[in-house]
Amino acid sequence: MRKWFFVLALILAMPAFPARGETSPEAVPGLNLNDLRLTPVQSGGRLKPFDEFARENILALTGSRTWSGFDPSEMILSMMVNPKAWADEKFIRISIPEVNQQLLLEGGRKFFSPTELLSSNAFLQYSESIQSNGSRSEQVTNTGVNAVTGKADPRSEELKRVVDRVSRFQALVTGRIWAISPPQDRNPETPWKTVMDGMAEQTPQSQAVFGLLKAYLDHQSGDFHTSASRMRASIEDLLPNPEEARPKLLAEVFYNRLRPFLAAMIFYLIAGILWLFAGAGMFPRVMSKFLTVCGVALHALGFALRCYVAGRPPVTNMYESIIWVSLGTMVFATLLYVKGRQKVLMSVATILSGLALFAADSAPMIMDPTIRPLVPVLRSNYWLTIHVLTITLSYGAFMLAMGISNVSLFRFYRISVTGESASDSQRIALLNQLSYRALMFGTVLLAAGTILGGVWADYSWGRFWGWDPKEVWALIALLSYMAVLHGRFTGWVGRFAFPLWTVICFSTVVMAWYGVNFVLGVGLHSYGFSAGGQAFVFTFLLAQTAYCLWVAFQHSRMKRSGARPA
Amino acid sequence: MKAGVDRIFRVWNVLISLKLAVLVIAGLALTLASATILESKYDTKTAQYYVYRAGWFYALLTLLGLNILAVALSRLPWKKKHIPFLMAHAGILMILSGSWLTYVRGLDGSIRISEGEVSSTVELDEHVLVLRRDGLTQTRPFPWMPQAVAESFKGLSLPEFGVRVERYLADAEPKVRFLPATVAGEKNGPAVQIRILGAPMGGAPELWLWSGDPGWASQRMGPARFLVRNEDQKDLAASTVSGEARLDFIAGPNGSLRFEAVSPRGERKSGKIDLQRLTDRENPVVVDPGWRMPIRVQVKSFISKARNQSEYQPRTVKPQGMGSAQPEPAIQVSLISKPEARIWLGLGDQADFIDEQGLPLSLSYFPKQIFLPFGLRLKRFEMKTNPGTMDPAAYSSYVQVVEGLKKTEIELDALPVRHITMNEPLDESGHTFYQASYIPEMPRPVTTILSVNHDPGRALKYWGSILLISGSILLYLFKTLQKKKKEPSRA
Repeated sequence: MRKWFFVLALILAMPAFPARGETSPEAVPGLNLNDLRLTPVQSGGRLKPFDEFARENILALTGSRTWSGFDPSEMILSMMVNPKAWADEKFIRISIPEVNQQLLLEGGRKFFSPTELLSSNAFLQYSESIQSNGSRSEQVTNTGVNAVTGKADPRSEELKRVVDRVSRFQALVTGRIWAISPPQDRNPETPWKTVMDGMAEQTPQSQAVFGLLKAYLDHQSGDFHTSASRMRASIEDLLPNPEEARPKLLAEVFYNRLRPFLAAMIFYLIAGILWLFAGAGMFPRVMSKFLTVCGVALHALGFALRCYVAGRPPVTNMYESIIWVSLGTMVFATLLYVKGRQKVLMSVATILSGLALFAADSAPMIMDPTIRPLVPVLRSNYWLTIHVLTITLSYGAFMLAMGISNVSLFRFYRISVTGESASDSQRIALLNQLSYRALMFGTVLLAAGTILGGVWADYSWGRFWGWDPKEVWALIALLSYMAVLHGRFTGWVGRFAFPLWTVICFSTVVMAWYGVNFVLGVGLHSYGFSAGGQAFVFTFLLAQTAYCLWVAFQHSRMKRSGARPA
Repeated sequence: MKAGVDRIFRVWNVLISLKLAVLVIAGLALTLASATILESKYDTKTAQYYVYRAGWFYALLTLLGLNILAVALSRLPWKKKHIPFLMAHAGILMILSGSWLTYVRGLDGSIRISEGEVSSTVELDEHVLVLRRDGLTQTRPFPWMPQAVAESFKGLSLPEFGVRVERYLADAEPKVRFLPATVAGEKNGPAVQIRILGAPMGGAPELWLWSGDPGWASQRMGPARFLVRNEDQKDLAASTVSGEARLDFIAGPNGSLRFEAVSPRGERKSGKIDLQRLTDRENPVVVDPGWRMPIRVQVKSFISKARNQSEYQPRTVKPQGMGSAQPEPAIQVSLISKPEARIWLGLGDQADFIDEQGLPLSLSYFPKQIFLPFGLRLKRFEMKTNPGTMDPAAYSSYVQVVEGLKKTEIELDALPVRHITMNEPLDESGHTFYQASYIPEMPRPVTTILSVNHDPGRALKYWGSILLISGSILLYLFKTLQKKKKEPSRA
């Protein structure tokens, strides 16, 4: 059944755009893609530029952001004009090796071509069985990332995603999911007509698309440009609110092409290294400041653009919260730096924020970077937004405290080797002081955020506190830090134990932030694809614990042998 | 005398020590962490049983409260510099006492109303046994306990009623079984086991109908209703809803069985059922109710005088789905004088006995109910779905507050209509009603589930929160300011 549909799709597409040989498809040089990128598309419950639509699909198909040097928008066009070559191209991702076995495919490979998959009987049988089990597979979801939820078995989830990828490829080739013609009545809720609909009933938009594809096939950059701008204009004319939509589309394409968080990450990491040598001379001193300012500016710009495009603060998933938390770390560090000018603050903050942004950016399959509309229940909920922003901001402060305390622990390790000098004591006192200040910000914000969560729950569900795991872990994190802060007055938490416990307490934040959703939540909200993230977070916690234990061991050994005078 | 004072001083010194505070805080954090693990491994009820609603957990919170209070009092006489410290800690005390007030005096239950009905019954998340004999009613709590605790449950005798709870299962699934009635005076009636073929939702669901209990006598499946009754049960025969497809099985006095079917348009059909053929596997008894739907009903077995021998067994497979599943407990009860006749009850079921004196006696296993001082009438329930699907997008209830004596339908209809939807609760005489859920039904749901809340500790908790946050901010500001003052003097 599916195979026939695929063949039908090829026949439909081929007469108009005959394939060019059997070689791998290549990008056409010298095209002006701007109008194509800015063309509005209705997809995933919102209006978005074609650029974003293309990126989401390329990510869903290949699991990476780009494919063999193609601009995502151009790659979609290339698939439409050259379906046969793309069908032989090995770009459909299978992330779990067991799925290869299950489909009787060659092991040790991550990418397969649609033809390979469609000529596997196991694959066809499997895709038919999900088709008969429900209407879900027929409906191509917006991104393959979390197209399928339900059972917790990661292998069958990946299998379903592979089926989704192949049917997505078919849908892209035939233009079945490219919604291009807005309704004449400008009702924002009416589904748009797709390019495939346009084959039967000629709309001005579909005609423009065919012109565009023809120009693309013939490498006519002039025709390409005129068709693209005609297509864009004909859609924009029909938008319910073009004055509002146009700058948003522009902003989203700008955001996608700039990749502000990636740029900020690079600035941060370089700045972080320079801050370490900021005492060494004029160049690192000036450059580190300059790069940090650039990083923060890009980071904030990206955040603002995302707010503007989504129409809400971006704090609804892991990717968005990492961005906000690392921005928070930078803000707190800058506040403290302005007061005391300690370079170690900036060094720690830039490196931590850089690493956090790197983690968010490097795993798009685990942390979905696409902007999605909110669930209706959460929309326009003032308290929810304030609550989430406050509580995650506190994580930023705790992250900074964790970083500084790690530096402090490193000092203790050095002391255990070389013995303590007066400057060491001063340095440790300073580091602990800074970490204490960061904790100050953190605890107040966490307490406020947790209480605001109670206010929201009270307003929405009728109870202030219900011992829900997410609530409880926020409280556990708060209590842990409170135990450390109060322990300072009892003499139990001294200048060594303070940084040690500050580092250890950060694991409760990791649990409240990530663990409740990804680890405890298994069985409740089972998202099979969170497995990779678990390995990463677990490694981080393990390394952190090992470091703490090692320093504690060195420290206690030195104490037992008696403090050597410097 | 002196020793007594000494002891008090020693206790006081422990109470005002910060070391105690650190131990309590750390202990609380560890306790909570293990509770969440318990919850993710088992269920919410288990975590509540062992931690959140356990006496020792309240003792731990009380100790924290006493500790804070003692530390605050130990700083007497208070000076200006103590203000932020006092604010923050008074805030915690207020939040704790507010929560205590909510726990003792608060109400957190649910109310379910069908369209057109008035209800003031609030169901709580507590289980009770209700005993009725000879005009006497007694309610006693029978709280949920996890299976590990239930293993050592030795039974509970209630001699004043002559009944006994023999067994308890924390999470049970029913095993439906009907057997011919043997003991005289036992509740009995005709029972029919049917299998529905060609059902629109697929599969071939099987069900038992039993006239011995109204809950078993009539079962609804999609647009159709199946019913079993004795020839003389006219009240059941009359209860027809217009527009529904209905199939009645009627047991004659001589052990015969016939059927009467009514289609949604009122077309009638009836016939006899050949009981000889029930055991014939090759040629089963299949009834065509003539509903203009491709539905056929196979009669699998028939017992003219059956008793309900349904049992419960520990749940073998946990239901899959979103949200943590609530465990469904069950108990087995018997008369003390007649321990061999045991009856299983799921939550919401009732067992009827005849005791030695021949008096009827009933025992129900129910969620605890309380009654509001006013009634709530559901005028209309509304569910919006996502386009093209059956996934609920939003649901809301249009209700009317009914006060005072019985009113006529016309008077009821004239009452002002209030709207409850998600994030938009209704406040009425100290109670707040939230749209919680609904009972899924075809063709559309008509029964809403509202959660009802009355929280006398709310104000304390809110003011406590404000004090805590502003106190902590001031605490840190004061500390930074003090540092600044000290630094120049040191220089």
